[in-house]
Amino acid sequence: MTLLQGFGDQIIAGAITTLQVALTSLVLGIAVGLCGAMAKVNGIGALRWLADGYTTIVRGIPELLIILILYFGGTVALTALLGRYVEVDAFAAGVFALTIVFGAYATEVFRAALLAVPRSQIEAAHALALSRALTFRLVILPQMWRYALPGLGNLWLTLLKDTALISVVGLEDLMRKASVAAGATHDPLTFYLIAAALYLTFTSVSLVGLALLEQRAGRGVRISE
Amino acid sequence: MLKIKPATGQFKTELSDTKAALHVVNLRKRFGQLEVIKGLSLTANQGDVISILGSSGSGKSTLLRCLNFLEPPNEGEIWIGGRQIQARAGATGQREINALRINLGMVFQTFNLWLHKTVLENIVEAPIHVLGLSKAEAHLRAEELLLKVGLADKRHAYPSQLSGGQQQRIAIARALAMEPEILLFDEPTSALDPELVGDVLKVIRALADEGRTMLIVTHELNFARQVSNRIVFLHEGQIEEEGPPDAFFNHPSSPRVRQFLSSQRDGYHR
Amino acid sequence: MNWYLVIDAMPRLLSGALLTLQLAALSVLAGLVIALPLSLLRSSSSGVLSRPVLAYTFVFRGTPLLVQLFVIYYGAGQIEWIRTTSAWIILREPYWCALIAFSLNNAAYTTEILRGGIRAVPAGEVEAAKALGMSYALRTRRIVLPIAFRLALPAYANEVVLMLKASSLASTITIMELTGTSRKIVAQTFSPYEVFISAALIYLAITFVVVKAFARLERHLAHHLERVEKNNGGTDPVHKGPVQELDRDPVLQREAR
Repeated sequence: MTLLQGFGDQIIAGAITTLQVALTSLVLGIAVGLCGAMAKVNGIGALRWLADGYTTIVRGIPELLIILILYFGGTVALTALLGRYVEVDAFAAGVFALTIVFGAYATEVFRAALLAVPRSQIEAAHALALSRALTFRLVILPQMWRYALPGLGNLWLTLLKDTALISVVGLEDLMRKASVAAGATHDPLTFYLIAAALYLTFTSVSLVGLALLEQRAGRGVRISE
Repeated sequence: MLKIKPATGQFKTELSDTKAALHVVNLRKRFGQLEVIKGLSLTANQGDVISILGSSGSGKSTLLRCLNFLEPPNEGEIWIGGRQIQARAGATGQREINALRINLGMVFQTFNLWLHKTVLENIVEAPIHVLGLSKAEAHLRAEELLLKVGLADKRHAYPSQLSGGQQQRIAIARALAMEPEILLFDEPTSALDPELVGDVLKVIRALADEGRTMLIVTHELNFARQVSNRIVFLHEGQIEEEGPPDAFFNHPSSPRVRQFLSSQRDGYHR
Repeated sequence: MNWYLVIDAMPRLLSGALLTLQLAALSVLAGLVIALPLSLLRSSSSGVLSRPVLAYTFVFRGTPLLVQLFVIYYGAGQIEWIRTTSAWIILREPYWCALIAFSLNNAAYTTEILRGGIRAVPAGEVEAAKALGMSYALRTRRIVLPIAFRLALPAYANEVVLMLKASSLASTITIMELTGTSRKIVAQTFSPYEVFISAALIYLAITFVVVKAFARLERHLAHHLERVEKNNGGTDPVHKGPVQELDRDPVLQREAR
């Protein structure tokens, strides 16, 4: 393993952190997205307005900036709150930021997916005397996933790659470990290319997984290329 | 004579002594394993109006599309009005195919007008950019054709603003603008609502009356009977029967043709 | 909320924003120039032409832009022949490294977006062009690409916005665009909220303008599809109904960077 010059373990550890951040943000982001979508589709005026504001603002600001706001802003806030200097944990700030970003885009994906469920399904449910709430839970929601899958898949791939941005505030992820190794060995090319290869692996595996998922979900309705 | 010998790499200059506008010999076309045209030979003389009939899958459209190489034939000879083409791969082959297509006007079932261009722009596009006509000449030609198909007032409309019948008539004008020797119609009225069919058929009949050489794939049997001087009936990629309309419709010899005609009379849809 | 701080920082922030715009605009332009021929290759039926381009787009869309940036900025100096040639003059400057990385990245996404547009061009309209004797070059230029551009516009608009936001990564290699400038001011003033929120608002303003501009462009290009609702208004014979636009929610098409 002379290629890695002893940094192999570090790199692997970083890769694991990357996946942890991504997966955590994914779960939380989906939850946020679902709430946002429901607010946009079913919610009362104020809620809808809030959700619109949320998605518009977050989608118009660079992810890096959001990470910086939460990290430095969070540090300032916590320090003020607790009276002594407290640094926000990079992992927490990162996950928080990526969740917010993922949630904003996921809101749009889920909203379109909810609206894509054929009206006839809803009408059939109503004709069978299912309440609105039950209809939503038993008929619309399960079917919505099929339509949401392609969009969510894309967002996941973006999320995976956005985790690299958290290295900027010091999170010990794949990117950061590669930077450290690059600095120590004066061999940036090797380590950044290795990092690239690892990200590519994650992406490729995800693509395969997504293809399988879409197959399983019947035909994932491709809205567009 | 345009002699097209696909994939043989031979360059033969042959002058044929037939005056046929179109001469097809032993045409074969495969899609993968499925052979759709199985050794078909056909001759059309100047001024012939040939209606090509047959049930679905008999290869009617494919035949037409082979003539202008939208589907390159696998085997066979295609002669067109006295010049020669070697259908080889590569740039020269492509140039020759393009030259061939100038002489073969095609009207599609789905009109295929360019939606992002106006009616006028649709018609003058190829004459200007392929034939090299000046804008003035092309526009002049277009105006005449628009008058001919009865849509002069629609010259600045977009296709999406027109009915199907109107779009098809524009498509015919577009094909005519290239002044082709032979016109190919691939089910020109099949995509039209019934009340719009008549207008298009009127235009096609007018063209036939002008003495143009035309091949029409159609399901409009009455129209075929009135407008053509020959009917060709395809079955499974081969010519089952051909002859003048009266003979074909009144005394068909092939049992398949008789079955086809009776099924049409009973109103079975294709 | 320290307004005085905001006002004081604004000139620097705006100057940073200018650099952001410059970086984004040049990268998008360069990306488009690169992507045009590549998208044609990528749309080719020949694997020999299409696959190398696919390899390129796959790598650049499958890895973070940050990594690509670092490989070029930090890694270029490592390569012997780069250091010794005139290429080094360019590649040691952060600005050019950023431009190159952004352009290559943007080109990869734009290539796939354009390819999607090309594939979506109705086959019938292409066949009509063929049947009229138009050569590949002629019909690609006059028929296929104009239609493809219009179809790809929503996804492309999205990509331009993403590029705008991605320009913030230039701050990681010392370029003082908007994000970099705001970071510096925050470090000096210890006021992350005022400064970062101001920066965020400027970004929002820029993206708002870009989105609106593209929306106007889309509307303008689609006016030929407006339907005249008279008897038997235009029908699309292929899809058996009113002439359709491709469904085009840009978010659903959001491509991973």
